[in-house]
Amino acid sequence: MHIQQITMLGHKDHGKSTLIGSLLMSTGSATDERIADAKSTSKKLGRQFEPAFILDAFSEEREGGLTIDTARAQIKYRGKAFELIDVPGHDELIKNMLSGASYATTAVLVVSAAKDEGIKPQTKRHLFLAKMLGIRHFVVAVNKMDTVGYSQNDYEMIKNDIAAYLDGIGVHSQSVNFVPISAYKSENIISKSGNMHWYRGKPLMELLLTCHTKNFTGKMPLRAIIQGTLETESGMAYTAKVLSGTIEAGSSIRILPLNKKATVKRLYVKGREARSAKAEENIAINVSQDMGNMRGAVISSTNMTKSANAISTMLFFVKPVGGSAELRFNGNSTKAKISLDKVIDTVTGKPKNTQKPKALDAAECIIRLEKKVAVEEFSSFRDLGRFVVYSSGKFAGIGVVEKVLG
Amino acid sequence: MELIYMIEQNLDELEEKSIYIMREAKERFGNMAALWSMGKDSTVMLALARKAFMGKVPFPVIHIDNGIDFPETYEFREKLAKKWKLDLIVQNSDIKPEISGYACCGANKTVALKKIMRERGFDALIVSIRRDEHGIRGKERYISPRTKDFKWKYKNQPAELWNDYSSKQGNGGHIRVHPLLDWNEIDIWNYIKREKIPINSLYFARDGTRYRSLGCTHCTVPIKSNADSIDKIISELRSTKVEERSGRQQDKETAYIMEKLRALGYM
Repeated sequence: MHIQQITMLGHKDHGKSTLIGSLLMSTGSATDERIADAKSTSKKLGRQFEPAFILDAFSEEREGGLTIDTARAQIKYRGKAFELIDVPGHDELIKNMLSGASYATTAVLVVSAAKDEGIKPQTKRHLFLAKMLGIRHFVVAVNKMDTVGYSQNDYEMIKNDIAAYLDGIGVHSQSVNFVPISAYKSENIISKSGNMHWYRGKPLMELLLTCHTKNFTGKMPLRAIIQGTLETESGMAYTAKVLSGTIEAGSSIRILPLNKKATVKRLYVKGREARSAKAEENIAINVSQDMGNMRGAVISSTNMTKSANAISTMLFFVKPVGGSAELRFNGNSTKAKISLDKVIDTVTGKPKNTQKPKALDAAECIIRLEKKVAVEEFSSFRDLGRFVVYSSGKFAGIGVVEKVLG
Repeated sequence: MELIYMIEQNLDELEEKSIYIMREAKERFGNMAALWSMGKDSTVMLALARKAFMGKVPFPVIHIDNGIDFPETYEFREKLAKKWKLDLIVQNSDIKPEISGYACCGANKTVALKKIMRERGFDALIVSIRRDEHGIRGKERYISPRTKDFKWKYKNQPAELWNDYSSKQGNGGHIRVHPLLDWNEIDIWNYIKREKIPINSLYFARDGTRYRSLGCTHCTVPIKSNADSIDKIISELRSTKVEERSGRQQDKETAYIMEKLRALGYM
C-alpha cells in the first residue's frame, strides 16, 4: 500500500511531537505497550501524560522535553496510510530537521496560539525550508487553542500572518488549509471540536486525506543515476537507479556529463536478466564500452538534463560558507566557487542588506563547478536539481538549482 | 475502534530502497561485513543482498555465537550457509553464567563483535534493525557512524538527505549500515512468503507457543500462538496489539535500556 510521508514543521515546544502522539492514539496506531511506556515515564518525571514520549524515545529528549532527532510513525486512516515524520524545532538542530523533512511530500506546520508562543523564528524558517525541499502540500495547524479559550481572533491573527509569509516565499496561501486544533485534547484532529463552532473547515485528518497523492514518474523520459559497478557473469556492469521513464535492453543511451553514447548490451533487475526496467528500480547494465568510474553520472533521454559547470542556485546555510565549498550531487562530489548575489533572511523571507550570510540564512548564488555535472532545474526534475553542501568535510547546507547557466 | 498498528507496505518499494542502500554501502566501503543472527530480519537482508549483487552475498556474514542459541538456530545456520554459499564467520563469545540480560548483551556479545571487527579490519557492518521494533531504533540513520569504542553518538548524528549518505567513520571507528530500517515486522513476513525465503523453524508454533523475536535461549520467551505457517503468522500479526520484542528480556530491565545498549555498540 502506498504511504504518504508527512513532516511536522514548527518552532520548539509548539506541539509537533504531541500532535503525532495524539494522531497515533486517536487512529489506534500506537501499541498499548508504547502508550504505557510514555505514561509511566511521564509519571516518573512528575508530569502530566506526554503523548510526545511515544516518539521522543531518548532519555535526553524525555527529561529535557525536546525532540533531538527525527523519528517516524505510521498511521492508517480511512483506508489510506501515512508516515508522520517528527523533527526538532530548535535552530541548532536544523540538520536533523532537514534529514527528516526531506523525505516528505506534505507538511503540517504546527504553530502554537498559546500566550507568549505564537509565531516564532522556526515557524517561518521551517516553511522556507519546506518550500526549498520541494514539499508540495501544506497544512497549517494552529495548536493549543484550548489555552486561549478557543479564541477565533487569536487564530485569525496567526492565520493572516502565516498566509502573508507563504505568499511572500511563493507558496500560494489560497491553496493552503488552516485548522485550529488542540493536539493535547484531540480537538479538530479526527472529528470537529464542539468548542470551535466558528471554524467551518474540516478536521486535520480529513485535510490530510486530500493531500494523499502519488507521483507519476513512469510516463516521463528516461533518467537514471549511475551508482557504481558490480561483476556479472558477462563482465563489469554499471549499477544505476532509474528515476523516471523506462530503460530497455538493446537500446542506445546517452550518459552525462560526458555526453557519451552507448548501447545497453544486457540489463539486470534484482539479480536477473530483464528486457526493461522502470522508475524506482535499481538496475545493473553491461554497456558497449567501458567508460571507467561513472558514479553520479546520469543516463538521460531528455535535453532538459544538461552538462553544466555554471548554475544559478538557492543555498541554505547550516553553517556559513566562504567563497568555496564542496557540492555533492547524488554521490558525485565536486569543488565549487560560490558568488553570492543576494542574502535572504529565512525568518522574514526578505533580502538582507549584507553580503555575508550567517548560519540559517539563505542566499541566491551563482556557482562555478570545478568539473561538469549532469543537472536539471529543480522545478523541472527535483532529483537532478538539488545538492548537499560540505565545507571542510562537514555538512554545511543544501542547495537547489534555479537555472542552468552553462 | 479498530486497532491497526502494523501497516503493510509495498514490498517492491521496500526491496528497491534496501537494494539501493546495500549497493551504496558496498560502493563506499572496502571491507564490509554483515551480522547474521539466523533470525528472520537478517535472513531477509541476505535474500535482498542476493538480489542486489547478482545472486550472491558479496560480503562475509558474522554470527556472534554465545553457545546458547537454540539447536534449531545452529541447524538453520549450517543449512543456509551451504545453500547460499555464505562466507560465514562464527565468532564465539564467552558466556558467564552469573550475568544475564543487559549485562550479557552489553558485555559478551558486544565484546565478541569488537574482537572480530578489529581482527578482520571491517570498516562497515550491515545490521538488520527496523524502525518499528523500538523507539530508539526508530531514531537511526540508514548509514550511521560508530566510534572506535563502538559508541553511537546519537545526540549528534550526521545529516542524511537527498541520496547523500556520506557519513565517514574515521579514527578507527566503523559505519553501521541499516538497509531494513523502513520495513515493518509484517512486511518481513509478507516478503518471506512472496520470495519463499527459508526461515528458522522456531518462528512456527509448536504446542501452543512460538518465538516472535529470536535471541538466545537464556533471554527469549515464546508467545502464545497457534500460528504454525507463514500465512497464519501474517494473520496473527494483522490483529496483534503486542510489541514484537515483548519476549526479549534485555529490552525491559531498566528505563532506556535499548538506548544504553545501542550507545555501547549493541545491534
